[in-house]
Amino acid sequence: MKGVAAAGLALRFGPSAFAGQAASIGPLPLLATVEGESPAAITREVIAALGGMGKFVGRGDRVVIKPNIGWDRTPEMAGCTNPEVVKTLVELVLEAGAKKAVVIDNTTNQAKRCYVRSGIQEAVKQAGGDMLFVDDYRVKKMALKGEWLKEWEVLLDVIESDKIINVPIAKHHSLCRLTLGGKNWLGATGGARNQFHQSLDKTIVDLAAFFKPQLTVLDAYRILVRNGPQGGRVSDTELRKMIIAGADPVAVDAMGASLFGVEPGELPYLGLCRERGLGEFDLKKARIEKRKI
Amino acid sequence: MASQAVFFGLFLVLFFGAHYTGEDYIGSTVQRFFHFDPLLALVTIVSARLVYAYFAFALVTVVATILFGRVFCGWVCPLGAVHQFSSFVFKKTKFLRPPREDKASLAPKYYILIVVLVTALFGLDLAGYLDPLSFLTRSFALAVLPSVAQAVSGLTGILYSLGAAGLARTLSQALQNWTINVTFIQGFSVGLLFLGAVALNARKERFWCRYLCPTGALLGLLSRWNLLKLRIDEEKCIKCGLCTQHCETQAHPYPNDRWKSGECVYCENCASICPTAAIGFRLSAKPEKLTNVSNVDLSRRKLILTTIGGIIAVPFFRLTPSRKRASLKLIRPPGALAEDKFLAKCVKCGQCMRACPTGGLQPVLAGAGPEGIYTPALVPKIGYCEYYCSLCTQVCPTGAIRKLTIEEKNKIKMGTAWVNKSRCIPYVLGKPCIVCEEHCPVSPKAIKLVDVETKLPDGTTSIQKAPVIDIELCTGCGICENKCPVMDDPAIFVTSVGETRSATNRLLLDIASETPADPYK
Repeated sequence: MKGVAAAGLALRFGPSAFAGQAASIGPLPLLATVEGESPAAITREVIAALGGMGKFVGRGDRVVIKPNIGWDRTPEMAGCTNPEVVKTLVELVLEAGAKKAVVIDNTTNQAKRCYVRSGIQEAVKQAGGDMLFVDDYRVKKMALKGEWLKEWEVLLDVIESDKIINVPIAKHHSLCRLTLGGKNWLGATGGARNQFHQSLDKTIVDLAAFFKPQLTVLDAYRILVRNGPQGGRVSDTELRKMIIAGADPVAVDAMGASLFGVEPGELPYLGLCRERGLGEFDLKKARIEKRKI
Repeated sequence: MASQAVFFGLFLVLFFGAHYTGEDYIGSTVQRFFHFDPLLALVTIVSARLVYAYFAFALVTVVATILFGRVFCGWVCPLGAVHQFSSFVFKKTKFLRPPREDKASLAPKYYILIVVLVTALFGLDLAGYLDPLSFLTRSFALAVLPSVAQAVSGLTGILYSLGAAGLARTLSQALQNWTINVTFIQGFSVGLLFLGAVALNARKERFWCRYLCPTGALLGLLSRWNLLKLRIDEEKCIKCGLCTQHCETQAHPYPNDRWKSGECVYCENCASICPTAAIGFRLSAKPEKLTNVSNVDLSRRKLILTTIGGIIAVPFFRLTPSRKRASLKLIRPPGALAEDKFLAKCVKCGQCMRACPTGGLQPVLAGAGPEGIYTPALVPKIGYCEYYCSLCTQVCPTGAIRKLTIEEKNKIKMGTAWVNKSRCIPYVLGKPCIVCEEHCPVSPKAIKLVDVETKLPDGTTSIQKAPVIDIELCTGCGICENKCPVMDDPAIFVTSVGETRSATNRLLLDIASETPADPYK
């Protein structure tokens, strides 16, 4: 327990200190988008545009990559993060000298079916990462110190890490309109998550403030435009062949919202995140690097 | 015995294989063991009035039994192996001291067999309750494996607290990979029955095989003409009686002319225990006298009485409304046949419940009548039907659940979801929720959201998105009920009405159409 608390504490201070550093590096963009045919290539390119994985991950780090693997859906349904994107990130993290690249998500459908049919399990295995199922003994109620969520069950395998990379997929959602990086944190929690919906926007802010990712990589290669958040038919999806990434999770989500023609101000949680100082959704203020390959 | 160990191992491999291995289609080999069972074959064919090609495998057992006696019982049957092993343990630990000569009647299993066969004529499938393969698979699926998994899971907790995180993680990840369901409504009672059957071996060696097993009885009847005969070398025999005392199935090796070929399972205990090695098994075409086959007092009078008893039993089993009118919560697995045909074929083996990746398939106690006890039904509060899974339809040994591809399965309606507006959070509390809609797996969704005005206790009005069901799109998978945040009695729930398999359990005239309208095409 002591170890857990210490790790949690270290994490609470670690990432924010690091985020400060990242922001102070002058010429590097805050946000990068890359369009292209290959999900793997554009993922590599977007990280390069941000200055390389070395900017986010240190040698010997234990890195957690948190995709959305919530649904028993194959990649062409756009219910889960593209497996090629996750695979490339695992490769980049390990190339940057990380000791471990752990991929985990608390799925909604049966876990093994989600891991297998999303293609992510196989992709992570090939890249040399560790794919973990959520373990009941590794879910602990912790003080989140949120404004709405005071304490909640979280996955220890996520928070006992040196760096967290959030890898959501851009999808339609009928309660918070869109599920992007913010809502992806629900998959890093345990407990009665279905109660979050009674105040989803406030939940997302508190979770985003707690987890503090080093990097957010939004998969918009194939986005889900209706019947979210799981879709079910290819006709529910649109090919956009784009990856959006950045150290500012709010800016990444704001950019993601624009793909659906949604103004950032229309998503209440983004406003709350900005008020909380988690990032900036006004894209005019952000340095954005846009590339096509 | 090595052969028993091999077949028990094979049983376990097939049993373990009946789950989501990572493949959508797991092939039909996992239920192959059942197809070699002549009792299940006979009863299913008689009660369902259908001949299934895969029961041809049972002919192998029949021919082997006709030629060599009950070798299936002694060498192959995995439940027989369990009983033999536990008998051995009870004997070694002196819980069991076999009498010099056991005179208890061996007749009960024949009476059980007669009742099972007679009732099958009337479409009543009782074979599964005492058939060894059904009994063992059910016990393992609903009780033994779940409790082992629970124990291992508890062990990982202890390992974590001891600091052995690496080992604990390996165990917990493996448990998830094997997708073992650990929650069964009747897990405790099924487990108790299994332990009881094992504990009976402390009274008599292979108690089950001697007195209860209808499959053994059927094979016993077939083995009358078998060629493999026990022979005692009269010159060597010292008449010590050890062979008869330690015979596992009361087959009475000594004196030689009282040996019951219909009871002998060829375990060869007698031959190995004989101090002068006077006992051997030889091939001989000379048939036994009928009285010797089992040497049980199966008089014509008692046989007729049992037959009449079986016939009388049938209407007793039918004193239930479940055939007259559908049961509310009897949500059968996708591909389940119409209720009467389903009951005539289901052997209650629990293989479908083992395979279900969410653990939603549960053994029925009430709701399907007495012949429906242990048949599978979906209990959405425990687990839902995973949209892209058709495993339960693939592992059914008798076709009570028709084999379906995933595309075929998704056209089947198991029931219909209903919203309980007096418990639903947006409807009654005026708070946002939409959890059911979010989880609805069909596209377009069968749960639509409408704005609903709710008067709150303080007099104000709240407008929230609230669920309404499109019954034409709903498949009755139950994920909405499973994920509903109203824990005790979910505000959205599935009942069996509208199920594809029933011509009478209908709601509206126009919802019988199979493929729902598609607004996006």
